[in-house]
Amino acid sequence: MKNPVLMVDRLTVYHDTYLAVDNVSFNLEEGTDMAIIGPNGAGKSTLIQSILGILPRQNGDVFILGQSLSRSGYLPNYVRQEIAYLPQNFMFDRRIPITVEELVGLGWDKLGLKLPWVGSRSRYQAIRQALIKVDAWKLRHNLIGGLSGGEMKRVLLAYCVVRPRRLLILDEALAGLDFQGELDFYQLLYQLKKEEGWAILQISHDLDQVRKHCDRVLCLNRMVLSEGTPETILSPENISVAYSSQLRLISNNNTPYKITG
Amino acid sequence: MTIPAELTRIIQLFQLPFMQRALMGGILTGLMGGMLGSFTILRQLSFFSDALGHSALLGISISLLLRLDPSWAILPFAVVFALGVTYFMERTQLWTDALLNIIYSSSLAIGIIILSFRDNYRGGINNILFGDILGIRESDLILSGLLLLICIAFITLTVRSQMLLTLNEPLAIARGVAVTPHRTFFIVLLSLLVGISIKAIGVLLISAFVVIPACAARLLTRNFISYIIVSSALGGFSAVLGMILSALLNLPSGPSIVTMQLAIFLLAILIPNLKLLVS
Repeated sequence: MKNPVLMVDRLTVYHDTYLAVDNVSFNLEEGTDMAIIGPNGAGKSTLIQSILGILPRQNGDVFILGQSLSRSGYLPNYVRQEIAYLPQNFMFDRRIPITVEELVGLGWDKLGLKLPWVGSRSRYQAIRQALIKVDAWKLRHNLIGGLSGGEMKRVLLAYCVVRPRRLLILDEALAGLDFQGELDFYQLLYQLKKEEGWAILQISHDLDQVRKHCDRVLCLNRMVLSEGTPETILSPENISVAYSSQLRLISNNNTPYKITG
Repeated sequence: MTIPAELTRIIQLFQLPFMQRALMGGILTGLMGGMLGSFTILRQLSFFSDALGHSALLGISISLLLRLDPSWAILPFAVVFALGVTYFMERTQLWTDALLNIIYSSSLAIGIIILSFRDNYRGGINNILFGDILGIRESDLILSGLLLLICIAFITLTVRSQMLLTLNEPLAIARGVAVTPHRTFFIVLLSLLVGISIKAIGVLLISAFVVIPACAARLLTRNFISYIIVSSALGGFSAVLGMILSALLNLPSGPSIVTMQLAIFLLAILIPNLKLLVS
């Protein structure tokens, strides 16, 4: 059995007095792509943010590459270097004068006390490779404030993949991408998973893509409702329970692939 | 008066030790203000730097009440005040600009009331409000120089972390940037800059040193590293121009520097091609 890259044990998170994530446990092995599905307000983003230490947790443990995430959100730097995170809504002040090349470079840098010009040659090569992978090399001198939503997503993906890592966490990464962008995105994820052994944890609402590309599915509505392969979890019965019976499933041959109200 | 005669007069003026100290003090403050200001405006702390400046009057008043030398006592006061304000900003549900307005207007008012009990204060209220750059001592220059070195070291060694923190805090946390220590140390540096420079520049004008060069630099640059460097350079350059203007026309020095900062800022707006020259 492969060593889990990520172990979550009885994780519980409150927003003030509201129980947002209740006693969630799961493991994620290297080279595995796990999707978290669930209705709005199910605690999916809260779960991911508490795993990363962005939000505090009230109970439970998180282990990343064998290291425990402290309650204050501390992880050793060498573990943090192995994690890439693509947030759902990347909020930033569009007046900030950061170029695409500078942003992607931030993904390469080992943050800490260091002289910024050390290793500039290898840094440039890594940035170049990453931007070419996501077809954004021509945008390298553009300020990020002027990018469209789709372009920003591609640049953020380049930021994630500029350095070899062990764990990639995506929060509705496909939002804002066109059809070709989605295809390219999943192709890149497959390559990262199979060729480089990345473990991938992603939140997604597109059940068809989850079925095609993910190895495991975690169905969440504040607590874990079910976990398993896409074939077993994405049955009409499980989806109806997770999203409530008032929602209508668009299905193809009784196989759900979209949720609608 | 001919131009050569005027130039000779100014050159002779800048050979005087007190003018040289004033010029050096202005340059050091301008460089630091530009450097820290580049992050201050992006983090929307401009009003915070203004509040810090106004609170310095309260710090000076309390120092005089306790019979301490204000030049030194203002430093720990500024740091404690800044950290206290930051704490309240994070803890209350009030609007930040309203809270800062309460803080700076009330600290100004209380400071003036306390000063009114000290008729024999040598410096006078005008010097506190507008500064007395010509009264800079060597010890002030040494302190400013040390702080400039610390600022350069801090920004140089942590520039990537600072960029990420300024851009998006959750992303910075996910990458392991220690957000609270970085933010706290930046606030401490900003408050020390205000504390050290208040004597030369004054309560009312110190925030201009932090804000105006950075805004001008933002208009002239197209990447982050250039932005920091240009902001700092403009801060120092405007100090030189301001001191020359002050000597030329016998104007108050601190306000002259701020006027030069404004002139550079307006040039940056009005001449778009200036960006190409700088970049």
